Amino acid sequence: MTTVIITGASRGIGRATAVKLSHCSQVDNMVLIATNYDGLLETQRQMSSGVHSELIVFDLSQLWNIDQMVQSIYDKYGSIDWLLNIAGYADPQLLLDTTIDNLSQTFTVNFFSMAILTKAVVKFMKLNEQSQIVNVASTAGSTPRPGWSAYAASKAAVINFSETLSEELAEYHIAVYCVSPGRTATDLRKRLAPEEDPTTIMQPEDVAYTIYTLLTDETQCLAGQDLIVRNKKM
Amino acid sequence: MVSFILLAAGKGSRVEQKMPKQYVSIAGKPLLLHVLDKLTKIQEIDQLIICCELEYSGLIDTMIANHYPGLAYELIEGGATRQQSVWHGLQVCKNETVVIHEAARPFVRTKDFLRLIQDEMPNVIYGADIPFTVLKGKEFVEDVLKRDELVNVQLPQKFVTSRLKEAYKKALANKQEFTEDAGLFYTYCEAEKIKVLKGLQYNIKVTYPIDFLVGEVIYREYIVGREE
Repeated sequence: MTTVIITGASRGIGRATAVKLSHCSQVDNMVLIATNYDGLLETQRQMSSGVHSELIVFDLSQLWNIDQMVQSIYDKYGSIDWLLNIAGYADPQLLLDTTIDNLSQTFTVNFFSMAILTKAVVKFMKLNEQSQIVNVASTAGSTPRPGWSAYAASKAAVINFSETLSEELAEYHIAVYCVSPGRTATDLRKRLAPEEDPTTIMQPEDVAYTIYTLLTDETQCLAGQDLIVRNKKM
Repeated sequence: MVSFILLAAGKGSRVEQKMPKQYVSIAGKPLLLHVLDKLTKIQEIDQLIICCELEYSGLIDTMIANHYPGLAYELIEGGATRQQSVWHGLQVCKNETVVIHEAARPFVRTKDFLRLIQDEMPNVIYGADIPFTVLKGKEFVEDVLKRDELVNVQLPQKFVTSRLKEAYKKALANKQEFTEDAGLFYTYCEAEKIKVLKGLQYNIKVTYPIDFLVGEVIYREYIVGREE
């Protein structure tokens, strides 16, 4: 039985990935986490009915409650095999405009919640023969862009965290992937760049396809690297 | 089923660290955790006895709570010598088979434990070839030893608990100290056979500062890189 947790599953890359993975024959249970119930419900509607799915409305910035949530998932399904950290937050500000709240919220959602969730899940993954983690970072984590310092720094943290964990967890046969998409036509992107034609940039389904490919690739040769995903057709 | 004595009471004075070596890290992980990682999935072990200095019991409790929640274990105070630590551990063994290992040998693998436990012989140790010449003597050479007749004794080791305890009682009565248990067992249970399984050179005992450097390579290339 393969049980998968996906965060940020109510929209964008998280939704597209959930839909794609619901057609994967290796997957038995999918636990979808987000703050927006309607969005989760729509994701579930688009998924294959051949997979068991559970929707959990949970605010990942509630760091102290993550352990308990993960424990309840483990108790219910008996294992946690794949973890996909996709939830993200961006409110780009110039340095002199940014606030403590903005910095804190950006790092809490993009990094701290991901790190705490990963810690809680790895405790159980160590009991498995094989497990996989995919962390979605961003090209912003490795390339500078004025006005995006908090977001970029938080995604750089995700990249380095992933690379470090890949080494640290290799002994337990836990493969850690880091996927850094470029501009992707998500709701978040639409809000940040309202003038941009979303059809001219990469689609969430393209990133989802990459994640699907990584998870079903038995060689695991791409673990531990910052994998840039860009749509070369543009 | 098997009782497992994990020796973690060493002071590590030769590794020149502030902490005893079993709590010092290779690849970011204390030596003790390296060993525990290999133990926790072995079904045959139903009693884990960790011999340690009690001042570090809180540290061990925290390590186990963080890494192996739910793992059952007993902390036993180590003795002044290795032999005394094993003796303390033997007092609480509930099974007729005991496996002894030390935290200072972090590169043992799960399959090494399994091979030892599942061997049909009751008393089994690991031993590696000696790749260098060994002479007897200190100030002056007194004899030439034939290295192909010698074995580099390694841990883990397996014994019949009651027989090992008998041997220990005799060694204690004679006030004789041994640096490991196969020698003690052989001396006082001569009628019992001790089988030697082929040990690997990777299963080093971390003793000197350079062993931490060598250990980083062994971990990276052997434990992570090549273990099946």
